[in-house]
Amino acid sequence: MRKLLILFFIAPLFVVSSCDKEPEIEIVGNVEVNLKANYDGEQFMTQQEYVYTSAINVKFTEFNLYVSNISLLEFENSTEETELAEVDFVNLSFTTDQATEAAAGYDLSTKKVPSGTYRAVKIGFGLPADINRTSPGDYGNGNALATSTHYWASANSYVFSKIEGFSDNNGNGIFEASEDEGIRFHLGQDEVYTERILFPSEPIVVEEDGTVNLSLNIDVKKLFEISDITYDANQDGLLDIENYSSSREDTDDPGFLVDRTIMSNYSSATKLNQ
Amino acid sequence: MIRNLLVSTLLIFIIAAGCKEVSSFQEPLDLSQIAYHPNPVPIKVPKGFPQLPLVNKNPQTEEGIALGRKLFHDPILSADSTMSCASCHFAHLAMTDGKALSKGIDQKEGLRSAMSLVNVAFYNEGFFWDGRVKSLEEQALLPVEDSIELHNSWDQLVDKLRTHPEYPVYFRKAFGIDSVAQIDKYMAANAMAQFEKTLISANSRYDQIERGEEEYTPDEKAGYEIFFDDSKELPDGECGHCHNVPLMTTNEFLNNGITYAEKASDFPDLGRGGFTGSQFDNGKFRVPSLRNIALTAPYMHDGRFKTLEEVVDHYASGGHYSPSVSPLIKPLNLDETQKRQLIAFLNTLTDLKFVQETQQSEVY
Repeated sequence: MRKLLILFFIAPLFVVSSCDKEPEIEIVGNVEVNLKANYDGEQFMTQQEYVYTSAINVKFTEFNLYVSNISLLEFENSTEETELAEVDFVNLSFTTDQATEAAAGYDLSTKKVPSGTYRAVKIGFGLPADINRTSPGDYGNGNALATSTHYWASANSYVFSKIEGFSDNNGNGIFEASEDEGIRFHLGQDEVYTERILFPSEPIVVEEDGTVNLSLNIDVKKLFEISDITYDANQDGLLDIENYSSSREDTDDPGFLVDRTIMSNYSSATKLNQ
Repeated sequence: MIRNLLVSTLLIFIIAAGCKEVSSFQEPLDLSQIAYHPNPVPIKVPKGFPQLPLVNKNPQTEEGIALGRKLFHDPILSADSTMSCASCHFAHLAMTDGKALSKGIDQKEGLRSAMSLVNVAFYNEGFFWDGRVKSLEEQALLPVEDSIELHNSWDQLVDKLRTHPEYPVYFRKAFGIDSVAQIDKYMAANAMAQFEKTLISANSRYDQIERGEEEYTPDEKAGYEIFFDDSKELPDGECGHCHNVPLMTTNEFLNNGITYAEKASDFPDLGRGGFTGSQFDNGKFRVPSLRNIALTAPYMHDGRFKTLEEVVDHYASGGHYSPSVSPLIKPLNLDETQKRQLIAFLNTLTDLKFVQETQQSEVY
């Protein structure tokens, strides 16, 4: 009877304790993502002269962009995404006296991810509509979205990417601040947000506490590739930069096609290396 | 005999009194008996303004601001006690001095004009025209020892503050010091920075219109549309790229084409490049806020333009060539009416309430 009584009190304790599952420890690793830029294969730097076409050289003074929704996919059409970073501002405006910094590029701030095998990387160029509806005042000091340099109050949109510089249209060797020689692309609005899924040559294997490095390289020259004859009278596959050198904010402006094309070109201009 | 005794007694009293005075002067004043209860006064961030860092190494207090305000206006800051910060930053001129180039105590002209201090709490890319210091606290340290400005030394100034009849109590109440020996230049600079961070202007006619309390006149509206490229019918003034809302500055350092320079080394004032050492920064200066711009003439870092008309004419012309000029500088194709409308909009950025309230708080 005594033994039964003891069993009566002790048994529930065992049951209760077995119900208390050990907390699952997530096994995670690191994926570091680096972005850098090149110009037709050469290291990209601002203030460096590059050949645009055989007749025109260009020199850039600013190149930056927002990237967003950077995530890993376990397989090609996976709807489940493992987020690496929500938004980051990538400034690649390193000058020729910052060659080391330009070579190092920009490291995104990424989150730890569950260890496993991933087969694709998704990246957004610009900001998705839900984030683009916000404004710099919504964010704390230091947040990538808190800066007023990349916000249009009149269009209620962030400027997703700035590409500024000069084209030496007349070949006199001087990059002039004039109507036709300045390059002024400030690209934004929901319509030009671009997403791309990139596939590495080998699966991305994230091991416990391990680190995988991914390198994204943007070819700035490819951003200006265009097939529309209206904007490529020379039919060299590149935007006629002497005639179309600034962005059009209004989405119903025919020139808005140029903005859309450049932002869309981020997709093809970006290569993933492991 | 009685007379001698009286004289001797008097002498002893005089010596004793004298000794007492000397003694009290030399002994460190014990401030610990004075109450230290600082009242936090967080900066009120106007709607739409940038949020401030969550961690503030120099938290605002009523007592710190009071000390900063007193120091800011006190000529004790200069070597000859003739000038203070307020000598070049007047409230009625939106915290500028109305001069092309400011003069210090030795009547030497500086290289650049006095910058407005309006909304400096929200600056995050460096202070001065060349951005050579990162924080307002660091900024407040420099004019005191600048040979062209207040031409003092902090050692000398701190000595004066320690022996001053009022300042030790102010410092005690602001920072909880126990003795005058603890007063240092960093406390003084922190207090001045606290005061300067209260200089917030966000109630101009523009702000009232944005809040729906007022409406633009047709000219002001057209000017707004030119400024922000908000109309297909009007030319783009290209202003909003660098003078963006809400501060009417992006806090960047740019070359706006006011100086012709064939080579990067040709600029008479290297500006940002003089600090960074990069030739690509030569000729670049901080983009100033346009809030209260109608009150801050003359314009540009060297005050070369006397009126807003001259400023608008400059931008409309497309400026001058130099290796570092911004690609955003180009001829604007504005006619005279459009220039006038642009200025009408700029005038909506004047915040008279700020001017009145700041004037009332001036202590000297």
